[in-house]
Amino acid sequence: MKKLRDRVAALLDEGAVSLVIGYEEGTKRPRPLFCRNSESSGKLIFDSRCFHNLAVYVTKKELVGKERFAVTAPISTLRSILQLYVENQLSEEKLLVLTVDLNGELREFVTFEEISAYVAQFEMKRGEREQEILSKIEGMTREERWKFWMGEMSHCFKCYACRSACPLCYCTKCVVEVNRPQWINPWPSPISNMEWHVNRAMHMVGRCTACGACGDACPVGIPIDLITRKMMEDLAPEFGYIPGQPAKQGNALSSWKLDDREQFIR
Amino acid sequence: MSKIGVFICHCGENISATVDVERVAREIGGMEGVAHAIDYKYMCSDPGQTFIKEAVKKYGLDGVVVGACSPRMHEPTFRRACAEAGLNPYLCEMANLREHCSWVHEKSEETTEKAIDLVKMLVEKVKKDKPLESIKVPVTKRALVIGGGIAGIQASLDIANTGHKVILIERDPSIGGHMSQLSETFPTLDCSQCILTPRMVEVAQHPNIKLYTYAELESLEGFIGNFKARIRLKAKSVNYSTCTGCGACIQKCPVKKIPSEFNAGLGTRTAIYVPFPQAVPNKPVIDRVNCNYYKRGACKICEKTCQVGSIEWDKEDEIITEEVGAVVLATGFDVKGTDFFPEYGYGKYKDVLTGLQFERLASASGPTFGEIRRPSDGTIPKKIVFIACAGSRDPAKGIPYCSKICCMYTAKHAMLYQHKVHGGESTVFYMDIRAGGKNYEEFVRRAIEEDTVNYVRGRVARVYEKDGKLIVKGVDTLLGGQQVEIEADMVVLATAGVANCGSEQLAQKLHVSYDPYHFFAEAHPKLKPVETNTAGIFLAGACQAPKDIPETVGMASGAAVKVAALFSNDELVREPIVAVVNRLAPPLYSTCVGCFMCETACPYNAIEHEEIKGRDGSLIRTIARVNEGLCQGCGTCVAFCRSKSIDIQGYTNEQVYAEVMSLLND
Repeated sequence: MKKLRDRVAALLDEGAVSLVIGYEEGTKRPRPLFCRNSESSGKLIFDSRCFHNLAVYVTKKELVGKERFAVTAPISTLRSILQLYVENQLSEEKLLVLTVDLNGELREFVTFEEISAYVAQFEMKRGEREQEILSKIEGMTREERWKFWMGEMSHCFKCYACRSACPLCYCTKCVVEVNRPQWINPWPSPISNMEWHVNRAMHMVGRCTACGACGDACPVGIPIDLITRKMMEDLAPEFGYIPGQPAKQGNALSSWKLDDREQFIR
Repeated sequence: MSKIGVFICHCGENISATVDVERVAREIGGMEGVAHAIDYKYMCSDPGQTFIKEAVKKYGLDGVVVGACSPRMHEPTFRRACAEAGLNPYLCEMANLREHCSWVHEKSEETTEKAIDLVKMLVEKVKKDKPLESIKVPVTKRALVIGGGIAGIQASLDIANTGHKVILIERDPSIGGHMSQLSETFPTLDCSQCILTPRMVEVAQHPNIKLYTYAELESLEGFIGNFKARIRLKAKSVNYSTCTGCGACIQKCPVKKIPSEFNAGLGTRTAIYVPFPQAVPNKPVIDRVNCNYYKRGACKICEKTCQVGSIEWDKEDEIITEEVGAVVLATGFDVKGTDFFPEYGYGKYKDVLTGLQFERLASASGPTFGEIRRPSDGTIPKKIVFIACAGSRDPAKGIPYCSKICCMYTAKHAMLYQHKVHGGESTVFYMDIRAGGKNYEEFVRRAIEEDTVNYVRGRVARVYEKDGKLIVKGVDTLLGGQQVEIEADMVVLATAGVANCGSEQLAQKLHVSYDPYHFFAEAHPKLKPVETNTAGIFLAGACQAPKDIPETVGMASGAAVKVAALFSNDELVREPIVAVVNRLAPPLYSTCVGCFMCETACPYNAIEHEEIKGRDGSLIRTIARVNEGLCQGCGTCVAFCRSKSIDIQGYTNEQVYAEVMSLLND
């Protein structure tokens, strides 16, 4: 931790970066810290409780400004950053990524390739909670699944916390706000809730890196992160992707390969 | 409120026999925003069109829906009528009541109701139509021809003779292609080189043709009328502006045993070489793979020999960019080697040849100066066997198609052999004789009847070597499947014509389609044989399928006419049905966030990056922009755009939504 604090202080003092996005101690759990000077770097922490996905801030121009900045990133945040690179939302000149590896060593990344190589060491696994609920859902028939999700979605009151927490929901105008035509009704109701969540899921296909931030943010506890996680898991083997390790360009659904014989389409 | 005019056509009885057209007109006439609705027997006829024109003026219509046949058939007709009456043509649309309704349903209430629904949808769509202007794109009047065989030569000359500039690129050190390798040509037996070489010279001297030999296409960007070609000029290691082509370096080169490509491996060449004496340009290149200097760092004999100091050891590949308006693909074909045939000895018997190798033996410029001699011992073969359809028409070998030229050149080979080797015996094994073409059948009959070539209908199961002879075991199906065994001195396989190596990669660079055998695909097998699916790229010759010289030349001239027709326009006019990325007032500029998923999804490379800059020149954002010239209006990007920042003009989200809602809101 000391190494991280010292390095951040040095970076800010040198003027190498103008901002470091990291974690500090909160009332119940760590919360984001925006370090703009070396004094506040003493508050920085980085441990296993720091899972809030800070990648959500790196696309906010009003926050990060025009100067170079840094972010401390646990593995889930690194995956999101990779995906944001693929989607042309980040530039290597502007962002410095810091992490602390399993041996407690401070690591710094500048390029997409460096992060990609580091992330490749970590396999994407379901946690206990995900495993429990997903195995229950996987055991259901199609009708039971529909009933389960309709039940869950009926609690949704469309606060869009899931959207705010997701680092990949960076559109300046979300599809729910498009009103010419109004494809999705904005008010909460079982059907329009489902419309929103189906749309959200479809927009995440081939992009979601299963950080779980959306499910974590849901104030009524709908496990919505499992929809996009399951889609990611199903997509990976069929499209030759490794979950959480995006290819440098394109997307499973938008790109194609000549040698792809599409055996799974029958 | 909208003032839409609706015109329902009976199409003779095509529609009115199953749809109650009067009821359709009556009910649609009651719709909100419909100012005028009528039905008529032939809406496309002159009186029918007059109804539309008069109604536009009389009711001040701001949109027209014609319920009739397919828009493919008559949309231009009705749009023109509207334009003549002063209405923007893109405010006129068609509901397909014939193919989508009357032809596919029985006469009933429901059929009429479906027709009403179809028209209703279009009325709602037309209400949201916006006047559109046709897109005009400029044309660069310069053509790129890829491949310097007879197809590329002919296409280049024809285009150049219309007064337009041509850039001809050829992968090998000389133009000429396969035709320059041939001995004589069927059905007249005139010498191939005698008719080809004058044209090769004409290409090199033509003021409108810029020739790049030893060059390959690196990439092609852009769209019809506006391509940008990057061409790799491979390092020749010889300065062509000073080289006099004296050939002294070639004589002195110590590396002499390289199999000659021009002689199909039957002769040898040196490391610094001109492929053949009549080559254009007639100046050498150094084959860096085989040259002693490039291999081991020492030799440089050619440099010492050269009187004018033309050898350039450190010359590197150069990449140039040329702007062109059209591309003609004329990359030709290749033939399978003898190693493709296990049953004929896997290519290990020296006296089993391909048809192309036999051409070299029979050619006056070949390794034996036109005498038919065995490559193994140089003796003249007394008995020779020709095997037609070697590989071709054999699904088991993965070549189910007919290579088309083999029947004719095999007859020619047998004839040449009989002319050159008096008293020789030649046998042709064939499946069928395909001699469709002017004077072709007569030519084959001449081989059989006058030159006494023995034609045996049947396949050859095996060829093997025994005591210096090649034992050919076949069957004669016309004699009831009798076994035939011939002790031959030479066997010539009419091996299948296949796509040239690298054709798949080239097709991908150019975004043109190709068939399962990697031959380039024409846009329509009958009506668009020289066009590809990519506008502005045309095909000539055997790169599309195996074909003989007259057909190749015809096709090349066809492609040249297409190019000339394209170049006769100063601007190209396109339908404005293209995708558009929205633009908004600052500070938003657009709802596009620049994720460029559309870019990877677009099959036509139509998405570009647009940099939005502030007054001080600083970059504010990078967003997507659609190139109108490239966009085909397929809508894939629209489906991909999460923020709905892209729309298709004439098929906007709003219009599609209005169409759907018109059905749901009943």
